[in-house]
Amino acid sequence: MIRRVLIANRGEIARRVIRTCKRLGIATVAVYSDVDAGAPHVREADAAEPIGPAPATESYLDIENVIDAARRSGADAVHPGYGFLSENAAFADACEAAGLIFIGPPGGVIRRLGSKSGARAAVAAAGVPVVPGETPKTQEPDDVAAAVARVGVPAVLKASAGGGGKGMRIVRADANVHEAITAARSEAERAFGNGALYVERLIERARHIEVQVIADWHGNYFHLLERDCTLQRRHQKVIEEAPAPRLDARVRARLHEAALAAARAVGYVNAGTVEFLLEGDGPRAAFYFLEMNTRLQVEHPITEAITGLDLVHLQLHVAAGERLTIDQKNVRAEGHAIEARVYAEDSRRLLPQSGRLIHYREPEGSGIRVDSGVVNGQTITVHYDPLLAKVIVHADSRDRAIAMMDDALARFEILGLLHNIAFLRRLLARDEMRDVRAHTRFIEETIAELTTAPPAATVRVAAAIAAFTAARAAAPVTETMGATDVESTALDPWALLGRWEL
Amino acid sequence: VATRLHVSFGGQNSTARVQGNEVVLDEAAPLVVTEQDGRCRVDGAGLTADGVAAATGDVVWVTVAGEVFAFTVADHATRQRTSSRDQDALTPPMSATVVRVNVAPGDTVRDGDVLIALEAMKMELPIRAPRDGVVRAVHCRPGELVQPGDVLIELDD
Repeated sequence: MIRRVLIANRGEIARRVIRTCKRLGIATVAVYSDVDAGAPHVREADAAEPIGPAPATESYLDIENVIDAARRSGADAVHPGYGFLSENAAFADACEAAGLIFIGPPGGVIRRLGSKSGARAAVAAAGVPVVPGETPKTQEPDDVAAAVARVGVPAVLKASAGGGGKGMRIVRADANVHEAITAARSEAERAFGNGALYVERLIERARHIEVQVIADWHGNYFHLLERDCTLQRRHQKVIEEAPAPRLDARVRARLHEAALAAARAVGYVNAGTVEFLLEGDGPRAAFYFLEMNTRLQVEHPITEAITGLDLVHLQLHVAAGERLTIDQKNVRAEGHAIEARVYAEDSRRLLPQSGRLIHYREPEGSGIRVDSGVVNGQTITVHYDPLLAKVIVHADSRDRAIAMMDDALARFEILGLLHNIAFLRRLLARDEMRDVRAHTRFIEETIAELTTAPPAATVRVAAAIAAFTAARAAAPVTETMGATDVESTALDPWALLGRWEL
Repeated sequence: VATRLHVSFGGQNSTARVQGNEVVLDEAAPLVVTEQDGRCRVDGAGLTADGVAAATGDVVWVTVAGEVFAFTVADHATRQRTSSRDQDALTPPMSATVVRVNVAPGDTVRDGDVLIALEAMKMELPIRAPRDGVVRAVHCRPGELVQPGDVLIELDD
């Protein structure tokens, strides 16, 4: 039984976890850094604990500070949200050591899946397809080159110890293999102190499909369908949808089975996501395991929309040691859901923006859900993720969902900093998006078109509004008073009553 | 009485003449702007469109159909308005790059003087003295990226 949950996070995900806890009668404790003392998640929780100064490394990422806050507040469980400490095995261990329930998988599972090569080996052993590749016999350049020849080009050389794109080189048909090996090796040595390389086939023009899974402590594993997160930019997802469109029914079923096999192979517990690359079309499409994320995903609301399940509720249920009683056969997609991530950013240059939200109004309506971490008047700082809000729409068809999303974004009013709403609308309008022909590098390849200047007519309309607003604000006092008089007359309840007699 | 303004966005400058609800941009056909519940409707030149605006300092933020604009609006009256005794005026209104620093510690400045020029989205944003005073400290250098909340300059009376 969980009575009091500390949410080791901030922003929209902290608010989202608080919502479900409130509904279930579970008390909530927020944590906050100095700059977040007045943030919405702090106000909405039943209690709040300070955890340090603005830099995340000294607050939201400081395991000791967060555990201390949990102890002080009398919490019996910790929800890590996503980002920050959510996939930190040491944090999961520290919670357990402090007698707190960590709402996620055990530290050992997080550690195992955190190692790319370890995760790959574990799921491959369970029969889950991984990107074809091989480890060279020795690290002699000739042996590495021979491995490239066997894998076939285009191939990618990867640092065995690596990650984050360091020590990676793509080898195409016309490339000098030995030069690529030398370059990848020296980069890997500098970055990781280890120049060992392995070879993988390069998967190009692929889609990103991921499967939501959930497992309890009693060995019950379920999948909650898939999501298509192909539209991303520098590995940052931008628009996600569920279920995945244009996916052969047999391939879909095999993806679900592979995700469950991967989860079982590592003894997974609680909610997790198995990510795959999908290559090709129709019944012959191939998929390969990418990685498994051991947390609640940013894009979980689209799964909630089509399944009708509350993932945070399920997470709490599992964490409390209860059995999951999901009827797998009846987990079916109801309609189509899309999520768009609204970031404070200069989309052209992909730079996060800070500033005060001098006007902020979310779109409302049937089928529209907005999960946001901000309110009108709030100052957005450079300290944390620039995600302002997620817009989630749910409709009976994909076309209808796209139209609803476009309309919701057009009605989202945010003033005081640059954001990506216009960019999102241009992306939604693309034929490649509508016809499901985009691949994971689509945004990068079309970024110039997606961030062109607004149409001249729109600029003129905006300029007219700017001039009108400035002129009115600057108008001589008498005129301003005149305007105020008109306004107060309109709002005067006696005036609105019209003629009346006592 | 018409108000004459210079409206700039992304390196483009327009002149605007505002009289009541009528706005004439660069001597083109007039546009009619009406406001209701904080939203503006623009009619004219064969189009109708809605938007929302809010001003902070010398910048008027406008959003139309999801596009967001930060206009700098200049004229004598706006300058008077933003030259309030508002300490916020010495912090950038948005993420911006310092282009010029016109003053040094010890300098005497007059209300409205441009102390620092910033650049964001290809437009120049002036940071003006909110009152007469003496520069106590300058906390930024040309080329530096500054954020809202950063104190760029401190003034003594």
